[in-house]
Amino acid sequence: MVGLFVRLKLRLIRGNLHGDTIKQLGFVFTSLAALACAIVGFTLFALLRLADPGIAADIGIVAFTVFTIAWIFVPLLAFGLDETLDPSRLALFPLTTRQMATGLFAASAAGPWPLASLIVLAGAVAGLASGPGGVLVGVVAVVLQFSLCLVASRAVTTALSASLRSRRGRDALAVGAVLVILLFQLPGLLANQGFSGDPAEMVDAAASVLRWAPPGMAAHAIVDGGIAGLGELVIVALTVAVLAWLWIVALRRALVTPDSSSQSGGSVRRSRLGGLLPRGMLGAVVAKELKYARREPRGRVVWFTSVAVTGVLMLSLRGPDGWSGPAFVIGPACLAAMMIGMQAANAYGIDGRSLWMNAVAFATERDVRTDLAGRHLAVAIIAVPLLLVLSVVSSVVAGEPVWAVPAVLSAWGVLGVGLGVGAVTSVILPYTFPDRLNAFSGAAPGQGGEAFLGSFGAMLGTSVIALPVFLPVLFGLTWASALAVPYGFLAAWGGRRLGGMIGNNRLPDILAAVSRPT
Amino acid sequence: MVEGKPEAVRTQGLFKRFGQQIAVAGVDLIVPRGSFAGLVGPNGAGKTTTLSMVTGLLRPDAGVIEINGHGVWSDPVKVKSRIGVLPEGLRLFERLSGRELLLYNGQLRGIPRDEVERRADELLRVMDLVEAQDKLVVDYSTGMRKKIGLAAALLHNPDVLFLDEPFEGVDPVSANTLVEVLQRYTASGSTVVFSSHVMDLVERLCDWVSVMSRGNIVAQGPIDSIRRGRTLNEAFLDLVGVRGGGEEGLSWLGSSSV
Repeated sequence: MVGLFVRLKLRLIRGNLHGDTIKQLGFVFTSLAALACAIVGFTLFALLRLADPGIAADIGIVAFTVFTIAWIFVPLLAFGLDETLDPSRLALFPLTTRQMATGLFAASAAGPWPLASLIVLAGAVAGLASGPGGVLVGVVAVVLQFSLCLVASRAVTTALSASLRSRRGRDALAVGAVLVILLFQLPGLLANQGFSGDPAEMVDAAASVLRWAPPGMAAHAIVDGGIAGLGELVIVALTVAVLAWLWIVALRRALVTPDSSSQSGGSVRRSRLGGLLPRGMLGAVVAKELKYARREPRGRVVWFTSVAVTGVLMLSLRGPDGWSGPAFVIGPACLAAMMIGMQAANAYGIDGRSLWMNAVAFATERDVRTDLAGRHLAVAIIAVPLLLVLSVVSSVVAGEPVWAVPAVLSAWGVLGVGLGVGAVTSVILPYTFPDRLNAFSGAAPGQGGEAFLGSFGAMLGTSVIALPVFLPVLFGLTWASALAVPYGFLAAWGGRRLGGMIGNNRLPDILAAVSRPT
Repeated sequence: MVEGKPEAVRTQGLFKRFGQQIAVAGVDLIVPRGSFAGLVGPNGAGKTTTLSMVTGLLRPDAGVIEINGHGVWSDPVKVKSRIGVLPEGLRLFERLSGRELLLYNGQLRGIPRDEVERRADELLRVMDLVEAQDKLVVDYSTGMRKKIGLAAALLHNPDVLFLDEPFEGVDPVSANTLVEVLQRYTASGSTVVFSSHVMDLVERLCDWVSVMSRGNIVAQGPIDSIRRGRTLNEAFLDLVGVRGGGEEGLSWLGSSSV
């Protein structure tokens, strides 16, 4: 059964790559990234050998805990990393839940990222173990810790899978994502507020608590290497067993619970906004995009995150050795603008399979350009006031309300550049957003690489193109921010022209790229 | 068919390959103006691929497609404003209400907003969707989705309407509504091309049939010339060739086996 599931997973990965050069490149890229992470992680862990043994143990304990938490949350939040089999597709096969659980466990362990995690964890043996006993215990500890990560992650995603599929669940997850990001920022924020000066002390304090949690025990067992270590490993193993049992229970329930995504909802109010928008195609696109920003959870995530991240950044930059000067206000505002601009990097993704409706109507370059302009206008209608508020708030926090002016001007400029670049990446590197934001389906299987390249390219492009106005402002020439808005307009206009030109010829290809089954 | 005027749809040597697999292998589809045409064929015959290419949603590898004498890929401006499409599956803007979907579609086609609203109201009434008009499409049933899709395809009063499996998964009441609307539409001289598995329906509605099998058109013409005295279903099975014998193999299947 194990071999069958692993082969199925590998076959799925290979099948997705079949006959598509871009996807193959994307997969190679992902694999290389995983390999790099594995090597760097392993080396960092191994280097702990050079540190003071006490501190090394503390760091090991904290790292193992963070690793486990990351394994639980990242598959829930990230797209494109996790392409594990969806148990609901296997529901009709005559498999016992136990068989299915073992099989799915093996399948989740196969793939570049799980293997990379295993290698990184193995680094702990190299870095922490003392003597042959330590190595022996260490190998077992690493395997147990790896199983713990997998089982915990599977148990949580399976338990949540039913609610993750309902419309409400997805909305909740969208907000949850932001909360988790905030949570991860908390230690940094506290540190910045001057609660504790010495990082070693903080790690020690954290480790003394986390040491008693299973991941901490696994790490501690490697250091100990003796009878006590073995005892700790037994506890970790028991934890894995309990989690596995919970997972099986959740799995058994998930397989017979009806899919709540098809429950019907109520009516929507008719919008009165339509009268204010421009008439014709432009207005229609703007109205549709604004509705999607409100009704589509995937649309909402971006807005929530960009505001939350800016807030976090603002707070963490404050403090004794934070940034000073106008950059403190301008930086976060521009970052927010950049993040908002990023959602335009795959403008057609949110339409997905329904994009055909545009494709059968669009006959000229001008139509495609108008469509892009409508999308840009819709983003701007939300983003322009939002950035204004963010800039004013952060300048008030900084105690220099005047800085709001250069900040908001630069942010608007960056937004324009981001939209312009996004118009081009949208037509060159379109990809399918998953239909359901759940842990089992990625950014449409096999398109993770394209998603990464698209957003990375958009980010890089935006940064490079925004640099000529942004740099002088950051270095104190605040008057240069006056140029940012016209510059942004120009960039957005240029991006739309280029995007329209390329997009008009590529409409069938874009349609195919965003209509992948997920 | 009006003499001297080009056909509603004419393709020549239409070809499409996906990787190793040839989906459409040189299709010469002809549909005369004003006909109610059925495109029939077994699963995987290339019906959907053909319709996607004819409507400009999929780029053909080779071949020419003309609608009312204009090339789909060489003259999209003339073609796209004159065709209506209901593609396979139920791909619609899920987060719009049915009414919003019609308004969006109409404005995308450049129809003034007041006119779009008037037409949308009428279409919603005819399709029996008035009660559901302010619900999100994501909550619609299959029949409702097909109806709102057809309404969107009709909104700009196209000359030629392409429907991919319009009756698949539709309840009899909704199907009846769809049929009535389509018959009214063709009675005015417009053309409908639809693909279907349901031979009885094709036989009842269509005056022109094109039969596809394994990426090729194996027969096409007025329905009587295809049937030649048989039922359409018999004619169809003869044309595509019934594969494999039902008698050999499967000896274990059924309650008489031990």
